[in-house]
Amino acid sequence: MRDRVIAVAWWLIVAGVLLLAPLRLRDRLPDPLATHWGSLGSVPDGSSSFIGFVIFTQVAWAVLWLVFFVLGNARGKQVRQRRMTSWGCLVGVGVVLLGAGLSTLSANLDVTGWQDALLPGWHIPLVIAAAIAAGGLAAYLGRGAPDEPSPEGQAPPMLRLRAGQRAVWVSRVVNRWLLVAVALGMVITVVTAALGLSGTVPGVAVTAILPGFVILFVAGLASVAVTVRVGADRIVIGFGPFGWPARRIRLSKVETAWAEERQPASHGGWGFRGMPGAATIMLRGGECLVLRYRSGGQLAISIDDAERGASLINALIAERVNS
Amino acid sequence: MLLTLDLNDARPLHDQVASAIRRAIGEGSYRPGDRLPPARDLAAAMGINPNTVLRALRDLRDEGMLEFRRGRGVSVAGRADGHADGRALLTQRARELLEEAKRYGYSRDDLITILEGLK
Repeated sequence: MRDRVIAVAWWLIVAGVLLLAPLRLRDRLPDPLATHWGSLGSVPDGSSSFIGFVIFTQVAWAVLWLVFFVLGNARGKQVRQRRMTSWGCLVGVGVVLLGAGLSTLSANLDVTGWQDALLPGWHIPLVIAAAIAAGGLAAYLGRGAPDEPSPEGQAPPMLRLRAGQRAVWVSRVVNRWLLVAVALGMVITVVTAALGLSGTVPGVAVTAILPGFVILFVAGLASVAVTVRVGADRIVIGFGPFGWPARRIRLSKVETAWAEERQPASHGGWGFRGMPGAATIMLRGGECLVLRYRSGGQLAISIDDAERGASLINALIAERVNS
Repeated sequence: MLLTLDLNDARPLHDQVASAIRRAIGEGSYRPGDRLPPARDLAAAMGINPNTVLRALRDLRDEGMLEFRRGRGVSVAGRADGHADGRALLTQRARELLEEAKRYGYSRDDLITILEGLK
């Protein structure tokens, strides 16, 4: 609880500075502002309108803050590695944006046109050093209690199927944060398209970023929810809110199943991870259903009630496939 | 949610599905407030018509075991302390006991006498 208050306060402080500082100095700044400096450093090669600069910094900070806040506060078991990454990035990225914003303002201060805004060479190394120092300190302070060793490799309880009994297992997991991210992606897509069509933003910029957001939106939608059904002879994994597309795995291909606690931080993050043979479908940290194929590969799916599912899969393999 | 259906059961299918869901809730796979998987998924897994599952879900709602909320799907009703679980499981077991008693030729009153005989 206290961590969340600090994180939200940090967001407000950085957002406040990035909003109020340019507004207060508006009379002394050129419009457009120089916002990008060439590889040589001091001479500007890109500019942006005053409003565009303020909106860009606010949106960039809000999105990055949300990503790292979710990383630290996602549901499931708290892991030190995840807490430290979250705090380090949250503070480090905030300092980078704060430094970049203030450095941009100081370079643009009291110049007549954006081409005259020269960036002193020491700004960039200073911002990077400050961000690393602040991020490292935040990661250390936010490390919290050490992790409890997780009980691994436990066999799920045995389930006996009686003759003439049909048993099925259905479970579903929905990632609400991803739902928010997808909604945000959709809003950005629509707003960008609208701005592009109305001519407020140059068409080139729209065609450059729109495909990215469309891909993000579609990929996000597919990983918002996962449904797993275990029936008579197969396991069906349905992706997305409508359970489609679906992947079917015949039980005869599966050797055994078990439930295990897994964290996104140790499996490369959220979404569809890994290679065929060692894949993870990770929508949230915590309970996962792990299948081992007869061919030797593994598939892990983050899902609620995984232990019962694993019990049923093992029972079905023992009684229907092997006999 | 682990659901088991007995293929030799002579009761209507929606009654069997309701019993299976009751048993799954009673065994603790879902706590009060938890959302059930969509009826469509349950039906697809069991290989039956979604309307049969919906009928079973409505029966369970009428019993007070489930809650239907618009936009939030179907969730398990009951108090947060989890007492609903135990009661649901006992009700389910009592039903099964009564059916078994009838198979052996004992009536409901006979069963009550047997229960009262237990101290």
